[in-house]
Amino acid sequence: MALPLGNGLYLYFLYLPFAARSVNLEFNAAWYTLDLVGFTLIGQLLYTFFTMMLLSGNAFVVEREQGTLEAVLLSPANRIALILGGALAGAFNYMWFFFGIMFSWVAFLGVQMVINDFLALAASIVLSYLSMVTLGMCFEALFVYSRRGHMYTTVLQEPIMFFSGLAFPLQAMPRALLSISYLIPLTFGLLSLRLTLLGGASLIDVGVPLTVLASMTLLFLALSTWLIGYAERKAKAKATLTQF
Amino acid sequence: MAPYSLRVLAASAKFNLIMTWRFFNWSGFALRFWGPMLTLGAAWILYTQVYRGVTSPEFGTAAGTTGYLSFVVIGNAFYVFVFAAAFVVGRVMFWERATGTIEATFMTPMSRLAYMAGVMTAAGINSLVDLSAMFLLGVLFGFQATSFNAALFFAGLLLTAFALFGVGLMTNAVTLTFRDRVNTANSLMILFLVFSGIVCPVELMPAWAQMISKALPLTYGIRIIRASMFGIRVQDAFNDLAILLVLGIIFVGVGALTLRLIERNLKKKALFSVF
Repeated sequence: MALPLGNGLYLYFLYLPFAARSVNLEFNAAWYTLDLVGFTLIGQLLYTFFTMMLLSGNAFVVEREQGTLEAVLLSPANRIALILGGALAGAFNYMWFFFGIMFSWVAFLGVQMVINDFLALAASIVLSYLSMVTLGMCFEALFVYSRRGHMYTTVLQEPIMFFSGLAFPLQAMPRALLSISYLIPLTFGLLSLRLTLLGGASLIDVGVPLTVLASMTLLFLALSTWLIGYAERKAKAKATLTQF
Repeated sequence: MAPYSLRVLAASAKFNLIMTWRFFNWSGFALRFWGPMLTLGAAWILYTQVYRGVTSPEFGTAAGTTGYLSFVVIGNAFYVFVFAAAFVVGRVMFWERATGTIEATFMTPMSRLAYMAGVMTAAGINSLVDLSAMFLLGVLFGFQATSFNAALFFAGLLLTAFALFGVGLMTNAVTLTFRDRVNTANSLMILFLVFSGIVCPVELMPAWAQMISKALPLTYGIRIIRASMFGIRVQDAFNDLAILLVLGIIFVGVGALTLRLIERNLKKKALFSVF
């Protein structure tokens, strides 16, 4: 709880020198005025989940340290099912935290939520979650293939934080950098969640980011299947699954 | 006793300096700048793109300057210094345990405080490299110092390092007791990051946040460094130096006492290296 709250507050304090109380977010030629505390804290909440998924490959590190990785990969169990099961359990555990924190922010910090379409909100949460879970699965292959998976994913955290528009409205990002932002599912997750939760956007309003999130989910699922198979084959061929 | 402790301090500092520079960890060095670079990038975008170079009048009054980006650069540079120094000291006992040398270390008759002070000295020297690098990077984001009061600057650094040494001692006591390294350090760093006035003057924060910030040495350290580089509120900076000194004495006193009590307890229960 300390991490999303602390980092969210930090981002909120970043706005205080400008006497800002709200953030204007432009999307699809429409302007939305969003509650500043909500903008920063909700962004941080989703980002925490994102990093949790990025680091979910640590499960393989634990298996390796316990000496059970070879046994797990010797079994005929579907690798994707194994990984997806673990990732979904993490996502489910985070769900109660996500809602609990949101309600406490409304109650204690006075975050103003403007929800007009609950279906759009539900779709934003579910698709953001799924896209991040499947991206996390792609990164899990790194943990099987390399001993430096943790370092690679840690290095990625701050750039992703910057490019996803977590700290500022995306329309302020220099145009040359926007193409990088559009490769990150968190960008679209933040956009759709902020718009539906704080800006009262409908399903039609967030149709584009939701479609992108759904497409990314499918793409990352296919990619993770291939990557994990590749990493396992390579590790078995080189006998480096447990050798340090 | 004092010359002996000085020898311990010097030896410990020398060992740590050699260990750092003989096997310099470039990726670790670069990673320490990631967070501050993100903050600087976000601050630059907010200032130039979103708010078109206009800060609130309250910011000017509270900060004593209208140079927002320079204000943020100093905050971040100082945070990098603290991060580099406090992390090393706060994790000494964890690594002693992890490498299997903790029992041998605590069997020696040396002063624990001198040993830890040696680590802090080395970390402080190394952190100056990070601090300088951050100021150089800050130039890219428009950092400009209007003056430089060297005496105030180094007094601020020294007293902040002293107070952080106390925080480090307490962190080690927690680490020894709970076997935790990550959560304690991360919680402390978030506390420093959020409430020390790195990105906005403490006066603009909500009242409850200001109360927390008053207990953190970094709050006063950053104010002193800003005063020394902007030539503002120099008189207030002397008050901050005094507060920092008092905080440092309290933290070091409590830290030394906690560490001694924990050491006694761990020896009695034979829990030094048993997991």
